[in-house]
Amino acid sequence: MQTFVRHAAKLLAWSMCALSAAGVQGASNPELAPKGPRQDFVAPAPGTYSLPPIQRTPNGRVLDVDGRAYSLQRFTQGRITLLSFMYTYCVDPIGCPLAYATLTQLRERLIANPDMASRVRLVSMSFDPSNDDPAAMRMYAGKLADPKSPVSWKFLTTRSVAELKPMLDDLGQDVSVELDARGKPTRVLNHMLKLFLIDREGRVREIYTTAFLMPEVLFNDIQTLLLEDAR
Amino acid sequence: MKFTPIRASLISVAIAASFAVAIPANADETCNSPYTASLIKGQEDYVHVWTLGVKGMGDESDKLVTVDVNPASKDYGKVISSVTVGGRGEAHHTGFSDDRKYLWAGRLDDNKIFIFDIGTNPAKPKLVQTIADFTQKTGYVGPHTFYALPGRMMVQALSNDKDHGGRTGLVVYNNKGEFVEKYDMPTGKHGDVMADGYGYDIGINPQKNALLTSSFTGWNNYMMDFGKMVKDADAMKHFGNTMVMWDLKSMKPQKVMHVAGAPLEIRWSLKEGDNWAYTATALTSKLVLVKQDDKGEWQAKEVGTVGDPSKVPLPVDISITADAKGLWVNTFLDGTTRYFDISDPEAPKQVYQKVIGSHVNMVSQSWDGKRVYYTTSLLGNWDKKGADDEQFLKLFHWDGKALTEKFSLDFYKLKLGRAHHMKFSAKTVQAAALSDKPQMSLAQNR
Repeated sequence: MQTFVRHAAKLLAWSMCALSAAGVQGASNPELAPKGPRQDFVAPAPGTYSLPPIQRTPNGRVLDVDGRAYSLQRFTQGRITLLSFMYTYCVDPIGCPLAYATLTQLRERLIANPDMASRVRLVSMSFDPSNDDPAAMRMYAGKLADPKSPVSWKFLTTRSVAELKPMLDDLGQDVSVELDARGKPTRVLNHMLKLFLIDREGRVREIYTTAFLMPEVLFNDIQTLLLEDAR
Repeated sequence: MKFTPIRASLISVAIAASFAVAIPANADETCNSPYTASLIKGQEDYVHVWTLGVKGMGDESDKLVTVDVNPASKDYGKVISSVTVGGRGEAHHTGFSDDRKYLWAGRLDDNKIFIFDIGTNPAKPKLVQTIADFTQKTGYVGPHTFYALPGRMMVQALSNDKDHGGRTGLVVYNNKGEFVEKYDMPTGKHGDVMADGYGYDIGINPQKNALLTSSFTGWNNYMMDFGKMVKDADAMKHFGNTMVMWDLKSMKPQKVMHVAGAPLEIRWSLKEGDNWAYTATALTSKLVLVKQDDKGEWQAKEVGTVGDPSKVPLPVDISITADAKGLWVNTFLDGTTRYFDISDPEAPKQVYQKVIGSHVNMVSQSWDGKRVYYTTSLLGNWDKKGADDEQFLKLFHWDGKALTEKFSLDFYKLKLGRAHHMKFSAKTVQAAALSDKPQMSLAQNR
């Protein structure tokens, strides 16, 4: 039974990955399309404002898509980093798919600005190490995880919830497993969508929730941090 | 890609199942930060009342009182928890963290901030942290409004530690309770308006990158006996007369607007695309609309009055309906609540009023507007005295035409103290912690 469960979960994960990557999800049903917040203003110009450090990023052991273990700090220092948590079978249109859509949009803008792209890193880390092992993350990432890609996008997971949880707690990233009416766990992970903008020194400088996930603002924030580095 | 029927079916079930994911709401129960999650659109289970301790009454200390308000509960209308924080420091307002798991509560006199864990068991809040160096870190006095930002808490102070007047600022903490940054309220000439540097409430419209603040008075006044203060001509000069529109991202003031008579609570319309907010002025009894003009510039203008301004009824708390068509306005000195039809925000019309008690301060409504809660205390030294010093939490049902009282809890008879700010919570959603066991499959759940 457990084998079937894992197989079904991975099949589902793969299917949803394919759906997201192909953009089919929104095309087939507009209600399921990731919907970002409305932006009725011109984002302040990069470098005209500051982003005070909010907190340091935690450390911990993570696995890349090849199953190699690293310190999380390897992926949160040295570049401007945008870190978010996800699970491969999440389909809430204002959850992981919205983050995915925003990040892919950002990636396109970075590709168009190669000077920026070389100094920025995207990191997606799984909430669910039991399902999202390195192989599942590799499948989810597809070509995005290609080391030769012009934009570095790391897809990480952990060996266990025990290794993951302290990092989540330190960042204030909530997550829980929804139970059904009989009290049994479902495949829904309740969580608040948060993207963490991290500077080269590993300090969180901005946090975007759904109401604040505006691509133009995000892009200008990255530029603002890069301008800091240039000074 | 071609999907087999089985795979398509699996995906559609997964989509349906996964739509229960906690949705970061664009709004809260009509007055909280738009960054706060877990909107309660149904029946709230508990009301938490930040309560001022009274000398000679009960344990004499400030406390967080929790009342069961679910009519299906055996404890409906009863106090089920009281968490004493020790001492009396002018307990005032509270605000949820962005994940709605923690409630921050401030005291205006000793400047302490208490953080309660509400998420673990909302029926039994637990004090988990106290910030005691607010003034040492910032130079400000009177942590008043607590407004969630993603991963942070913005706090509006009322005063400062140099002269205890009204000049003050905004403070940002991270969710661990660590100081992040402070911002002085603007002073000096801004356009045609002299900025007074005062502060009171915070309201954010994320779609507009707009942070709106209002202005009240400093420690010298809010800790003074009310009767003495109103006879002190000099003291009465020290009330705020401005509202400030800030660029939220840059935290820079964009425009200072003249709004005479201490504009207090700020309520944005929660409708997507709307570009306006309401406030009420305490001393001049005006309803003020802050809205963008045709050129996109923010303007504040008086659009109505509350009661008879010549009698200074002292408008205090206001509460906007979720559809932005109605506004409750309390006036403290006559203990009256008024309901305004604001379908046309430029022309509010009062359509109902009711005396709630000898005095009344706070009003909080459920998301559907059917339940309206009231409490009494404004400030320890401003509340009425003697027989008029009623202290209660009352629940009314609103049918669109009249308020019907459902229960009243006398906080003095219960030896609790003065009932002030209210926040709602709901029983924890059926959820389990993450586990290393593979999550239950859909097939197993069927």
